[in-house]
Amino acid sequence: MFTSDSIFENRRFLIVDDFQGMRAMLREMLKTFGSKNISVAASAKEAITYLEQSDKYDAVLCDYNLGPGKNGQQVLEEAKFRHLIGPATAWVIVTAEKTSDMVIGAAEYMPDDYIIKPINEAALRSRLEKVIAKKSELHDIEKAIFAKNFNAALSLCDKAMGSGKANNEILRIKTNLLLDIGRYDKAKELFEKILSVRDVPWAKTGLAKVAFHLGEMETAQRLLKEVIDENRTYMEAHDWLVKTYQQQGDLEEAQRILLRCTETSPNSMIRQKTLGEIAHKRGDLDIAEKAYRKTIKLGENSILNTPGAHLGLAKICTDKDNPNEALQLLKDVHKEFDDKAASLHAKVMEGMVYQKTDDPINARKVAEELSAIIQEDPNLASADVAIEAAGFLFKAGDKEAAESVLQTVVKNNHDNDALIDQVKEMFDQAGMEDDAQQMIDTSRREVVETNNKGVTLAKEGKLEEAIQWLRNAKTMLPNNKQILLNFTHATILAMQKKGKSDNLMSEARECLKKVSALDPLEPRRIQYQNMLDAIPSQ
Amino acid sequence: MDNQETQPNITAFFASAMHDMKNSLSVLINFLESYHTVLDENLKNKVAPMLYEVKRVNNNLVQMLAIYKVGNEFYPFEMTENSIDEFVSEIVMHNQTLLDDLGVTLELDYDKNMTWYFDRELVSGVTSHALNNAMRYTHDKLRLFITNEDGYLVIRVEDNGTGYSASMLDTGNAVNKGVNFASGSTGLGLFFTSMVAKLHKHRGKTGSMALENGGKFGGGCFVLRLP
Repeated sequence: MFTSDSIFENRRFLIVDDFQGMRAMLREMLKTFGSKNISVAASAKEAITYLEQSDKYDAVLCDYNLGPGKNGQQVLEEAKFRHLIGPATAWVIVTAEKTSDMVIGAAEYMPDDYIIKPINEAALRSRLEKVIAKKSELHDIEKAIFAKNFNAALSLCDKAMGSGKANNEILRIKTNLLLDIGRYDKAKELFEKILSVRDVPWAKTGLAKVAFHLGEMETAQRLLKEVIDENRTYMEAHDWLVKTYQQQGDLEEAQRILLRCTETSPNSMIRQKTLGEIAHKRGDLDIAEKAYRKTIKLGENSILNTPGAHLGLAKICTDKDNPNEALQLLKDVHKEFDDKAASLHAKVMEGMVYQKTDDPINARKVAEELSAIIQEDPNLASADVAIEAAGFLFKAGDKEAAESVLQTVVKNNHDNDALIDQVKEMFDQAGMEDDAQQMIDTSRREVVETNNKGVTLAKEGKLEEAIQWLRNAKTMLPNNKQILLNFTHATILAMQKKGKSDNLMSEARECLKKVSALDPLEPRRIQYQNMLDAIPSQ
Repeated sequence: MDNQETQPNITAFFASAMHDMKNSLSVLINFLESYHTVLDENLKNKVAPMLYEVKRVNNNLVQMLAIYKVGNEFYPFEMTENSIDEFVSEIVMHNQTLLDDLGVTLELDYDKNMTWYFDRELVSGVTSHALNNAMRYTHDKLRLFITNEDGYLVIRVEDNGTGYSASMLDTGNAVNKGVNFASGSTGLGLFFTSMVAKLHKHRGKTGSMALENGGKFGGGCFVLRLP
């Protein structure tokens, strides 16, 4: 009934459990299966220490509940994030019960299997054999994905599908890849094929994702609601439903769904953070504050922690006249995160706290620090943060720095009337309406000229020059949607004429990804997407 | 106190208690399963019923917890594609010792290539529970029969005992209809089973359970239908 012992004999195992009885039991079981190389850790910390050693483990049996500190899922996240385990390492979470807390994370941080206690020896052996065999089978595919070699990964998927074993798994990997690289047409085809036989939740959700990326929010919502109707606690469908309402600007509905999600799965850091952000935008400060605090608490043990909640809570504290807590939170942003953009945002907020508490000396100090940071990397701040920064700098008396910041905003968003109006507003408040108009016009003209030159070169058939020109332009102004689109178009024309180039193709797709982040509803993105897909391979 | 605050605390207590209890049960069950084979006949007969009792405790825990979570809409129901062969193999592994102890033979009847979509943990729980139950009522044979009928996966646990009593059959029907006349541990098991069945939905069809008499051996039959 069982395969030979060698599947266990030559592999390295790590057991992680805080209960001595379980550790002993699991070790004995593995020994019976033929394992000769077993490490045993009694805590998350100890597990990380073992994992940090140079030789990677082949399989990890980790209890979900490890006492205070990180839980088994968080250990897995840290191990994957820090590359302490490779794509071939099997990770099995042992748990007393399956809870929605476990299905909270991103797909790339999911374990390979869950085993529910009490553990039956024969069942454990059978599960481990299957998981190890599956990892072996998927090894090449996972390696290619890890190396961001998506096309290779896709062809490996196709090759592996023939054998018929882990087909479902491979289909999921394949469709995720297709979605990642923007091949929505192909992904849709696969999802529809699966759905023609059965309403499989992940496939229907996948189809909804395609609709989302194509801007078809109502279709996406219909599909997701159908999934949720038959699977009331399927979190992924809820998450995407929230995204669709955010896209439509219906924050009230988005918040309502998120609140329900957090009732089902209260320990999801990402969901609490999104709830905080949405409630904050809507002015529901109490809900926002609670969600932010929960996010920060959950983030303490997670390597996937991000500074958004700290920043959000700091803002609420400032508005609620609690500057001390705000300043502490902002300090933590610098201390706990290696995120330059977030640190910049925190600096701006720090300055604003000093202005609010009437502390001109510290405000002045921050203004100087801010100017220096911005001068070093003018494109670091997003448009919103930049405008906030400008407001602060004007008040602090640093007109030059403020102007420079606003000029970058204009150049990066020269065709975005709403943002330009906000910029004008800032100048008005500082009493500099006239300078503003002149600066805006000049900046806009510069960008338009740069763009036009690129377009002209392309029209004249000087495609290589056009690409180079626009490539430089986008280096100077990496957040300018128009330049990104024009660059993409130039590469399309070049490849249509001279054939596909892997480098140009990935550069173009990167640009479109950026465009999607800047403006998810930009129609030309989808148009260029399709044109890129239509370029024949060599 | 609003809902969001009380819920997580209780759940955290439950989770922690569950973690502890499951650890203890794991060790107990493992001990009983590994050591009873090396005992002489006398001791073996005394120990075998202990394993049965410990498994009952575990089953009750599992059912109660699932009912609590589903009732509060935070059970992570996961409709995945399962190999029926793997599903059956694991159920056999979990129950082999008990079957041997009680001298009951388990007949398996299913298509090895079949796959179906359902929540593996919940349906395993239901099937194991049905098996454990049937082990008590049966004479010496059990049959696990899984087939595809009218677009439903049908899981049958049949025994060669004297069959269910009329009141038991009524109770089974009532619970399935959503009217619960049973109490005590019978009620718990039936309610859990019917809850799991109803969680499984597909294109307008819903799962159901039934108790009947008949089957291959003419004894009691537990039937679970999943769309």
